[in-house]
Amino acid sequence: MSNIIEVSNLTKSYKELTAVDDLSFEVYEGEILGLLGPNGSGKSTTINCILSLLNFSNGSIKIFGEEMKPDSYGIKEKIGVVFQEVSVFDELTVYENIDYFCGLYVKDKEKRKEYVEDAINLVGLMDFKKFYPKKLSGGLLRRLNIACGIAHKPKLIFLDEPTVAVDPQSRNNILDGIKKLRDEGATIVYTTHYMEEVEILCDRVIILDKGKVLAKGTCDELKELAKIEEKISVEVNKLDNKYVEEIKNLDNVADVSYNGNVLLIVYEKGKNNLSDIMGLLKKENIKYNKIYSERPTLNDVFLELTGKELRD
Amino acid sequence: MFFHNFKYSLKTLFRNKAMIFWTFAFPIILGTFFYLAFSDIENSEKLDIIDVAIIKNEEFESNELYKAVFKELSDKDNKDRLFNIKYIDKDDEKEAKELLDNEKISGYLEFVNGKPKLTFKSNGINETIFKYVTEGIVQSAYMGRNVSETKANLKDISRKNLSYTMIEFYTLIAMTCLYGGLLGAIAINQNLANMTCQGKRIATAPVKKWQVIISSALSCYITQILGVALLFIYTIFALKIDYGNHFFKVVLLSLVGCLAGLSLGIFVATLVKAGENAKTGIIISITMAGCFLSGMMGISMKYIVDKNAPIVNKLNPASMITDGFYALYYYDTFDRYYFDLISLLIFAFILIGISCIGLRRQKYDSI
Repeated sequence: MSNIIEVSNLTKSYKELTAVDDLSFEVYEGEILGLLGPNGSGKSTTINCILSLLNFSNGSIKIFGEEMKPDSYGIKEKIGVVFQEVSVFDELTVYENIDYFCGLYVKDKEKRKEYVEDAINLVGLMDFKKFYPKKLSGGLLRRLNIACGIAHKPKLIFLDEPTVAVDPQSRNNILDGIKKLRDEGATIVYTTHYMEEVEILCDRVIILDKGKVLAKGTCDELKELAKIEEKISVEVNKLDNKYVEEIKNLDNVADVSYNGNVLLIVYEKGKNNLSDIMGLLKKENIKYNKIYSERPTLNDVFLELTGKELRD
Repeated sequence: MFFHNFKYSLKTLFRNKAMIFWTFAFPIILGTFFYLAFSDIENSEKLDIIDVAIIKNEEFESNELYKAVFKELSDKDNKDRLFNIKYIDKDDEKEAKELLDNEKISGYLEFVNGKPKLTFKSNGINETIFKYVTEGIVQSAYMGRNVSETKANLKDISRKNLSYTMIEFYTLIAMTCLYGGLLGAIAINQNLANMTCQGKRIATAPVKKWQVIISSALSCYITQILGVALLFIYTIFALKIDYGNHFFKVVLLSLVGCLAGLSLGIFVATLVKAGENAKTGIIISITMAGCFLSGMMGISMKYIVDKNAPIVNKLNPASMITDGFYALYYYDTFDRYYFDLISLLIFAFILIGISCIGLRRQKYDSI
């Protein structure tokens, strides 16, 4: 796989604040790379530097093997951007907005018409072509924002938090659309602070905090960093404290907590943890409503690396 | 791409209700108010025919120019009649004095040693007009004008001297031209990454910034010209405002005025580091202050500024536009008109030139 983007030692400061600190990474052709981090971690600043919108104090950025500059029109032709803010014109209809932005890339009218229709279908706005943005719900507006950024069928797409404040239906639609774009051959850089989306979508993930790379790799590789294997949650109405202590002494158990009516057991490793705990509950005649097992999440990784939650 | 951006820029402008109001509706509404307010004043003054007397001595009887002009200006069938003249026999001069003392007449004229002599009891607009007309005849005689030329000239000038409405309409056109500043600011704001999120998206597209800005500015300029054209059509055909005989020059001055307005907006939007609303406020404030100083809220303001701080109106685009119209309407030569026209062009090019320096920046420290 060839490198589509190469970022080397990127540093961007706002007066005394270092927003991006010596950041280096690559984006491979055909992958979805997730930039995951809490608000203010430097995700959007990194994107804006890559797009040559922001000055940066140090580092270099190459896209498609060439240095990215404000007048790199050849590179820009192949890029699509969906910003965090909805960047459309209130005075233009859904169709006109997409046609306008697509027209900045595609001169051929017939081809553009086809591309605009494809984008409308991709984001599911077929019934809203003549609607003005003010008449659209938040979710539909986000879909329009995406359509405006990808209608010209770019090879490289930047999606900066495209699902912020979106209803579940629109979120699923957007995520399906992004997968479709990847399947059609696009390389995607996806920034978010929703770890679930990253786990669903991304081939590789870079976790950022305070402008620095905390970790990078596939989701599975990153989860190795969490130093936990499994989390088992049990809904128990009443549980004596002596049982909590007993569970703590079981093999592979890293931590046990009982809050509300949920018993949470965190395991460092092991393969038969669920059957072991179910055996104990049966032996001690402890009645429970539900029991389920989870793999560690990227939030656990972030917690392990920084000592705080992703959404703090 | 140029036409693509131009087309959509026009669409966004014509669907922007606030812009439609300020560009098209507001000047017409204001013009209607001006018309209603000032035409009443003028109509009342037009009906106020001035009572005067003329001593009919031999010298007056032998002066055909005076006789003909005063006959015309006191003709009951003349809609522009200015005077109600009582002709008094040369032996009854006392009667004229009595009429004046009893305020039955504003003044009387008699010829003494071949020269017209006016006698008044007080100073006022009626006395001024009587004096102005009499002196006008002297001047016409000196310039060798015939009777009909003199009559036309005097009627025209007398009427103009009474017209407050015209001054207000000049400043109204100046204001409408300068409101192009709001559109100029839009042309900049929409296309720059550090101004709007749409500008951010445009900045990532493979298009040259100048191409986008020039096509947007052109659409704004055309919109502004349409706004001024609509104002002209409304005032000429609905309000019956007479802009004089040099309509091409009126149009030319308006076009340059719109360019000056547009450049003001581009200048403010490029160089002022503030939000969109603050920039709009600054442009409206500059425009209204300029119009105020050029006489929109009272013609005396223009004279006060011209007398006490002439440099202010030399730098004030509203005053340049107003003064250009004023010069076209009042003067037979075009020197002052061309001075105003060229001053406006220089004003526009300086602002655009400075803005270009600010617009060269391609990357930003923060957005």
